[in-house]
Amino acid sequence: MKALLYIETSGDKVLGGSVELISAVKAIDAEGTALVIGNKVAAGTVASFGIPVIYTDSVATDNDTLTEVLFEIVKGENPDMLLFANTALSKDVAPRIAARMNFGCVSDVIGMSKNDGKVMYTRPAYGGTIFERIEVEGASVVTVRGGSFSKPEAAANAEITEKNVQIPANAIKAKIVDVVKEISESVNLEEAQVIVAGGRGMGSAENFELVKELARVLGGVVGATRPPIEDGWISRAHQVGQSGKVVAPKLYIACGISGATQHTSGISGSDYIVAINKDEDAPIFEIANLAIVGDVTEILKGMIEEMKKVKAE
Amino acid sequence: MQILICVKQVPDDSIEIRLDNKTKMPNLNGVSMVANAFDTYALEMAVRFMEANGGNVSVLNVGAEDSTNTLKNCLAVGAKEAYFVQDDSFVNLDALGAADALANAIRKIENDKGQKFDLILCGLESTDEITGQVGAMLAEKLETGFVSRAIAFNVKDGDLQVNQETEEGYNVVSVISPAVVTVSKPEYDPRYPTIKTKMASRKAVIPTFSAAEIGEVKQAIVRLVEYVEPPKREAGIKIQEKDAVLAVSAAIEQMKKDKAI
Repeated sequence: MKALLYIETSGDKVLGGSVELISAVKAIDAEGTALVIGNKVAAGTVASFGIPVIYTDSVATDNDTLTEVLFEIVKGENPDMLLFANTALSKDVAPRIAARMNFGCVSDVIGMSKNDGKVMYTRPAYGGTIFERIEVEGASVVTVRGGSFSKPEAAANAEITEKNVQIPANAIKAKIVDVVKEISESVNLEEAQVIVAGGRGMGSAENFELVKELARVLGGVVGATRPPIEDGWISRAHQVGQSGKVVAPKLYIACGISGATQHTSGISGSDYIVAINKDEDAPIFEIANLAIVGDVTEILKGMIEEMKKVKAE
Repeated sequence: MQILICVKQVPDDSIEIRLDNKTKMPNLNGVSMVANAFDTYALEMAVRFMEANGGNVSVLNVGAEDSTNTLKNCLAVGAKEAYFVQDDSFVNLDALGAADALANAIRKIENDKGQKFDLILCGLESTDEITGQVGAMLAEKLETGFVSRAIAFNVKDGDLQVNQETEEGYNVVSVISPAVVTVSKPEYDPRYPTIKTKMASRKAVIPTFSAAEIGEVKQAIVRLVEYVEPPKREAGIKIQEKDAVLAVSAAIEQMKKDKAI
């Protein structure tokens, strides 16, 4: 079984979720080749995981060009599967390739297994309360949720093959004419090791500062559910959950979050969940490793001071 | 501008849906079927544009189940026309099949009307299957331009411009019309119907076709084998100290013991 892995890059950096694809194809004994577009340094980084790399120097700044480059490479390589990390970019591009190639498309995959030569995909539906197990007839395009597979270990450098792709001018129908930045901060929730997140229960913008302070002390990233964002306590770049970012940190501290499924399904990949809530029946407690029942502002104030001591040790 | 919104009928997503223990199917008992939330955002966006600039807004549903009510609700909140392709052979459609059926239906409607759609909107994803594939696939089937995650659109100097949501804000994307655009949540909510618009929509006649009348149904290549329950995370230790200081020190101790810090 031949798998082509599209590696998403940002400058010279390789997106963490896309190198996890290397472990994903190992799990089903597929023969993987990575595809890196437009950045040679990133191609080298990927090759250092011991997976052969196809490199093309096409500059794919818009999704129409990227779709065309991927389409040409897929046609040439004829893989059984084409894998993406499940990002906003791949949600745009992956189904287009599937339609063009008439491949079956499976989104937001959290598990893969092989049985009698057939791959079975597991993915959440209905806001994460139900999982679907899916099979594809013929070749498939698959997007894989970040944190579902481990990061690969370094290995002997594999070979990098360069390929050229010509893009016909009429392939580009949509062009970015302006980029508007409303949020200046960059929030890397997907790759964070520690996330401190606040919900409606924080009560006010002022109290929400405690969430930010604890995140700062722990060297973590601030997360939020929808209500604090709608109330303007924090920007939407921080939203965690099914409609925001799906996260998988080592430590997730949920402050004043009751635990709607849309949120909990987005954090269930966390190694250790701490939840602070005054309602002892809050659904978040059902999935928390450590549940603290009490006034969230009081607990947070105390925790900030104690964590400072722990960090100083 | 002639705008079409592809609407999917889904179980009301304000109700948590679980597996039925016996049938191992999603338990939809007592759950009403409604227009997918993202599709209602697309409809509101289109109706606002029509109110400001003229033109026409139509809605289209393809499916196996009766969706007349959902389509009438769309008419009650501003759509001028509704079309329905209902066929039992649509029960097991995968995303490619759904995109095919929509493309066939769109061509049929355009032929019947003698007029092309300038813009086709789909919700970013549906709240039941959450694949988010159909809009992008539809653009491929119709060989049009495609923009995902729209939060606004406009016509500027005769060009269609779409504001595409990004991590930091939005991109302004100029796209050749006709185009397929998927819609994310804009800053406003969809409107509610009034008694008057509800009464009017109840009387509306919705042209309904069968699969055979629009084209051919393709066999699904993506197949659902089974539904399963997500693995349960075990609830861990609960700290219920009245005193916040004691609660914090107990929590820190436990986190150290569990090597979480």
